[in-house]
Amino acid sequence: MIAVAGIAALALFPILIPNPYYIHLAETILIYAILLFGLDIVVGYTGEVSLGHAGLFGIGSYTAGVLFFKMGVPFALAVPASIAVAAIFGALLALPALRVTGPYLAMVTLAFGTIIGILINEMTFLTEGPLGIKVPKPSFFAHKLNEVEYFYLVAVLMVLALIVVNRLLKSHFGRAFQALRASPVACDCMGVSVYRYKVFAFVFSAGLAGLAGSLYTYSEEYISPNTYNFELTILFLLAVIMGGRKTRSGPLVGAAIVVMLPSLLSDIELFRQIAYTAAAIGMVASLWLLAKKRKTIREVAVPLGATVAMAVFSYKLENIIDWRLTIFGLMTLFVVYYLQDGIIGFLRGLIDKIWPNALRKHDEYREKADEALAWEKADYLINASGDLLHANQVLMQFGGLKALNQVDLKIVKGTIHGLIGPNGSGKSTMMNVLTGIYKPTAGAVEFNGEVISNLTPSTIALGGIARTFQNVQLFGEMTATENVLVGLHHTFKSNVLDVMLNTKRYQAEEHHARIRAASILQFVGLADMANDEARNLPYGKQRLLEIGRALGLSPRLLLLDEPAAGLTAPDIKELVAIIRKIREHGITLILIEHHMDVVMSISDIVTVLDFGQKIAEGKPADIQSNRKVIEAYLGGDAGSEGHIKSPAMTPNPA
Amino acid sequence: MDIFLQLTFSGIALGMIYAVIAFGYQLTFATSGTLNFGQGEALMLGALVGLSLTGNVMGGPYINYWLMIPLVMLFGALQGVVVERIGVQPAVKTKNEFGWIMSTIALAIIFKNVAENIWGKDDLTFPSPVSAAPFKIFGANVQIMQVIVVLGALAMMLAVEMFNRKSIYGKAVVATANDSDAAGLMGINTGQVVTFSYALSSATAAFAGVLVAPLTLTGSTMGTALGLKAFAVAIIGGLTSGVGAIVGGLILGVAETLTGYYISTGYKEVPGLLLLLLVLAIKPSGLFGKTTIKKV
Repeated sequence: MIAVAGIAALALFPILIPNPYYIHLAETILIYAILLFGLDIVVGYTGEVSLGHAGLFGIGSYTAGVLFFKMGVPFALAVPASIAVAAIFGALLALPALRVTGPYLAMVTLAFGTIIGILINEMTFLTEGPLGIKVPKPSFFAHKLNEVEYFYLVAVLMVLALIVVNRLLKSHFGRAFQALRASPVACDCMGVSVYRYKVFAFVFSAGLAGLAGSLYTYSEEYISPNTYNFELTILFLLAVIMGGRKTRSGPLVGAAIVVMLPSLLSDIELFRQIAYTAAAIGMVASLWLLAKKRKTIREVAVPLGATVAMAVFSYKLENIIDWRLTIFGLMTLFVVYYLQDGIIGFLRGLIDKIWPNALRKHDEYREKADEALAWEKADYLINASGDLLHANQVLMQFGGLKALNQVDLKIVKGTIHGLIGPNGSGKSTMMNVLTGIYKPTAGAVEFNGEVISNLTPSTIALGGIARTFQNVQLFGEMTATENVLVGLHHTFKSNVLDVMLNTKRYQAEEHHARIRAASILQFVGLADMANDEARNLPYGKQRLLEIGRALGLSPRLLLLDEPAAGLTAPDIKELVAIIRKIREHGITLILIEHHMDVVMSISDIVTVLDFGQKIAEGKPADIQSNRKVIEAYLGGDAGSEGHIKSPAMTPNPA
Repeated sequence: MDIFLQLTFSGIALGMIYAVIAFGYQLTFATSGTLNFGQGEALMLGALVGLSLTGNVMGGPYINYWLMIPLVMLFGALQGVVVERIGVQPAVKTKNEFGWIMSTIALAIIFKNVAENIWGKDDLTFPSPVSAAPFKIFGANVQIMQVIVVLGALAMMLAVEMFNRKSIYGKAVVATANDSDAAGLMGINTGQVVTFSYALSSATAAFAGVLVAPLTLTGSTMGTALGLKAFAVAIIGGLTSGVGAIVGGLILGVAETLTGYYISTGYKEVPGLLLLLLVLAIKPSGLFGKTTIKKV
């Protein structure tokens, strides 16, 4: 519905408003929107601040401009070339992004943008420097497009970009982007390589910036270096955040605002009216909030003061052009503090309040869910008979501390192997070594007869080892279903093209994965919460969801790191049942747990660590009466006559 | 050879300025894990306020260069408090990861624009407080102001270090930097410490501004590039190491003057930025920083 209306509006725009100035303005909005779709992938989905998109935009512009200027390359070749060149630079930009995040990355991208600006200015032999390059509108079959025809061309490309980006972000690619933002470690441990998808996000984003840049060249018909400056980068970011992250409509709204902003701000009368209205609204809203006791005077003072000051300022103001950047900065502050989810996010919040279920996804998959479908044989073969995993003399050293000291660990196929020990004994370190998060200082880990201790976490995960985390590492902003779908990422064989073209193969895989996700959720007892965001689940349910997500990997070995921590007694009972069922399906388990009753009742073999060393191993009953173990837990000789009584001696979890 | 030596000397003076600004980044990063993307603008405002006090742009001179320095630092401290209260504190409270990045950038844009409207868009000259006549070291010309810059920068960093190590307030800063939560539980008002670190950081930047101003031109646009390159220095040296800031500053300062002379002044910003990208791609904790192991 909205899509049809939007396309109709685009088609009719030049007919209804034949003014070339407005057509050009609308064209610029569409071009910015293409770039913003890409920027949103980086900012909204992978959660990084990019201050380098003006640079990528410039690279796109100049690739098309220079190709035409130097070699007369036509539009049909110049635009793909722009996309390709910008994408290559995007890959370059992604290299530091793999090592750093947050403010570091923001500065890196800023440095990148600055370098591009300098290069465009200085490489006069290529770019003509500050003189700029003139490029006419593109021609097809000896017909030069006029402004209206070019507008349609841009509109078609924008709609295509919108569809492609939308499909990509709704697919397993989009889920991977969100997952690597929420918890890079968990993402890797679900077999989704953070490395690969971060590069991919940057490359794709840069490609869109390149496309937008080349279209901009033909739209303006003249390009010069000072367009692609810091201010433009901030403008792009402002547009994405103000419009609304993680939406397609947000970038369109944001683009419209930032493109029209300068023309709005050039009219001082209009600006004054806006400022007065804002002050009036601010006053009424503050009074209402105060009267209803929803906010205190302190809380409303800042925004109220700001809007009133703005009104006074606009009254005193004579030359608005000079203060354009200040107004722009104030708008950015306002958006950061009061409109974090953007205009679209704000509207969605309103709709959610008025019609609570209007935006809810229908769960058509729930009826098709069946616990039996949760289990699927993995594609890899398990050859080893007997020991599934063998950690051989593993030494893990942090500075002078030996967190694991020459530990041997053999996990027999089909067993539940308990791993206990006092706090700081090296249990979690062992988990991290087994899943590849730490590289052991010495020694090796063999899984299924192959050495895995030199592989990356995501390769190990894809090899059949899944895990949960001691401190829950869910993808908070994603729903329970989506969390499990990230675990099912490996079932997708579709590539980018499949997703973009929405092929049968991709549709079948998505359908299949969703049914399986629903089945897994049913198995762990979360079917009712399938559409809830993971961060809103109660703690105990979050732990179960982690197990569900790990099951998505179809693991042969499942590592549970304190699954019962913080659970209530009935929850623990449920958990024990789930663990038993998992074993019945042929999955070997390693269980770290402080609840002795849990460990002792379901483990086949228990290994005890203390100060990084293995001090005992054997059947639960033997461990309970082992002197060394009792000493480790109670200290000194306290346990000479003792016997571990469960659950009285449960040390606090770390 | 003389030219090379001379370029090295001016590189060192420039490098020490970078080191002081980088030091400012380190101060706030240590206490709050945030930094002011408008550090360069704090420097620019410091230089322009200093110029208004000692130069004739605002009907002055009112006061001589040396007396102006404490006033400018006071102004810088106030500016830092404003940045922290408006830009950082609310954003950190809302737990919005890039809130403070965007808000400090927005404040930087506002400061720059306001400065443009007050002092104009053109660059101004800052009267040198000492004789501009150079003296010779190993045959290369050195300006007295360059020596003052190096000494002043070192003195500033030393003063802050001494404060942190010897005074009880400094210990509160160090404690907050080490473990903010634990410091809070020990009764230290960590919010105040963060505000204080911003004040100190901006005061340092303002001080750097009046140090560098007599050697370069002064104007609303002087800060942005300095701030960015000082960030490169902070990263190259490591965000946790004072020595790192000095070494990083010297490397960058010298690299820049050499590039400016032997290649082209247009390219003089490039080596620092490239170095930044390289360091981050290879050793993100910097040359002198400690690598921390993430606990899972």
